[in-house]
Amino acid sequence: MIIPPRKRLGPLLLIAPAAILLCVFLVLPYLNIVVMSFRMPGQGTPYGPGFTLGNYGKFFSDFFYVQQVINTLWIGFLTTFLCLILGYPVAWQLARGASTFRALGYALVLSPLLVGIVIRSYGWTILLGNNGIINRTLTGWGLIDGPLPLMYNALGIIIALVHVFLPFMILPIMSAIQGIDPSLEAAARSLGASKVTSFRRITLPLSLPGIQAGCILVFVLSLSAYVTPSLIGGLRVKTMAVTVVDALIDTFQWPFGSALALMLSVTGAIFVVIFGRLTVMKWKA
Amino acid sequence: MTEVSIEKLTKDYGQGPAVNSISVKIAEGEFISLLGPSGCGKTTTLKMIAGFEDATQGAIRFDGRDVVHVPVEKRDIGMVFQNYALFPHMTVEKNLAFGLEMRKTPKDEIRTRIAKVLDMVQLTGYSERYPRQLSGGQQQRVALARALVIEPKILLLDEPLANLDAKLREEMRVFIRDLQRRVGITTVYVTHDQAEAMTMSDRVVVMFGGRIAQIGTPSDIYERPANLEVAEFVGQVNIIRGKVGNRVVSTAFGDVPVSGEFADGAELMLALRPEAVELLPISSGATGAPAKVLSSYYSGSLVDYRLELAGGAVVNVQTFPRTRFADGEQVLVHAPADRFWPLGTVA
Repeated sequence: MIIPPRKRLGPLLLIAPAAILLCVFLVLPYLNIVVMSFRMPGQGTPYGPGFTLGNYGKFFSDFFYVQQVINTLWIGFLTTFLCLILGYPVAWQLARGASTFRALGYALVLSPLLVGIVIRSYGWTILLGNNGIINRTLTGWGLIDGPLPLMYNALGIIIALVHVFLPFMILPIMSAIQGIDPSLEAAARSLGASKVTSFRRITLPLSLPGIQAGCILVFVLSLSAYVTPSLIGGLRVKTMAVTVVDALIDTFQWPFGSALALMLSVTGAIFVVIFGRLTVMKWKA
Repeated sequence: MTEVSIEKLTKDYGQGPAVNSISVKIAEGEFISLLGPSGCGKTTTLKMIAGFEDATQGAIRFDGRDVVHVPVEKRDIGMVFQNYALFPHMTVEKNLAFGLEMRKTPKDEIRTRIAKVLDMVQLTGYSERYPRQLSGGQQQRVALARALVIEPKILLLDEPLANLDAKLREEMRVFIRDLQRRVGITTVYVTHDQAEAMTMSDRVVVMFGGRIAQIGTPSDIYERPANLEVAEFVGQVNIIRGKVGNRVVSTAFGDVPVSGEFADGAELMLALRPEAVELLPISSGATGAPAKVLSSYYSGSLVDYRLELAGGAVVNVQTFPRTRFADGEQVLVHAPADRFWPLGTVA
């Protein structure tokens, strides 16, 4: 069938505003970063004349940076995993629990997003610091002798990231569970499955699309998080995002910073694709 | 085969009973329908038999054993849901295998039983399909097969035909009924569609407001309804009123004899089904009450007339379209005395 030109134009016009916005403010800057990553380092200027592969060479030759990518990925994995473990029961409760508490629960889930990211991260430093509330209380009760190392390490960063990103895990899973017909669980029960088995064989696999979306969101957000790791990790633990900003702003190495940023994006993307492949759902199509 | 006995079963959600002390005995291999308007308690009753709802009071016995405190998965029931509830992430084969896996049936036996049940529901060759790749009628048959393959004690069906189109619905009625007879399984069928209940059931339980209004064979329910509500719910009915005198009710159709239980002078309601009335042309000179045709509706095999009797009462009559009467035409109506059924006195 031949579609008249006007009909073809309609959908294009509808997506045009978003497409233009993305193109000008995302795709073009991104391309600029790609180009920048191949430029020569400058002397007193952000970059010098000519092009080189040296920025990438520097990344791969210095294990420090590779190690940082691995650390960042680990923080991403653990944050995602903890969000999933903590978030799934909440999502299930919000989707299937009594309606009385649903509005309240919903508000509580969203509450971390209502506080500015800087304030929230400072809040965690108050709680987690060596002189923070947790350590002082535990010392005061005589449960510990010295402060526990809760801050300036990966643990602190993960705690704070899990707090911020939990809603991004809960909301997609909740909506996936809400989309599952409760009579499917009833059918499983009628066929002889216990509540646990019917959850494992029916509800859990059917909520996989939500789990997938939530995990990808949280993982990507964790990799690119900047404010929380820089405030809670301090100078000791640096994630890639922090190092990239250091390179761009503190040491003024735009080409190298761009190469670092791209390496982070590429490794992140590779893991997202692998994850997508592993959780492919044949029954959906 | 299992005999099901429901004794004084009550369900109260806190706002008065949804099911109010109902008792039914369902014989081995019997097909019984719970019929009633929405909110009459039929679905709640089914859910209590299945175990999805706890009974507030009363007993449900499978072969004499009270199962009220047995959880759903231990009751050994087969259930077909209104929306089929097929597992969308499993193929037909996996859907059918689910209940057998729960029973730890050996693998090769699972395979042979699935092949057998697919043959029974005429879906051989569909085992690798996902539910979304099947039509509504096919999904319905898979749901039926999934409930039957586990060879449950009883089969429970919750408005299973409500989502099908009219033609398929009639086909499936016959299909389910034949299958049930062949398997010989005790079956409880919930529906609000009286035609479904009548054509499929050995006996029908008519429910209103959480109570049983009548239990009986389809012909009991239709020809000898227990009260006005049942008469009006099951099919069309004309309510003819008349005074009792000397064991006879005098109506516009003439005198109708009644049994002695109604006192002289009482005003009685009689049920008269539209197809029990004969229409004759005035010229025939037969005995009958004169009436005027108000309107007629032709539906192919039958014609429905609305008639006005001499006294002003309106009656509905259903006849074969062999002789047609025009709107406004004067006719004679006649109904044999044995086609009137007393519903009780006017309150």
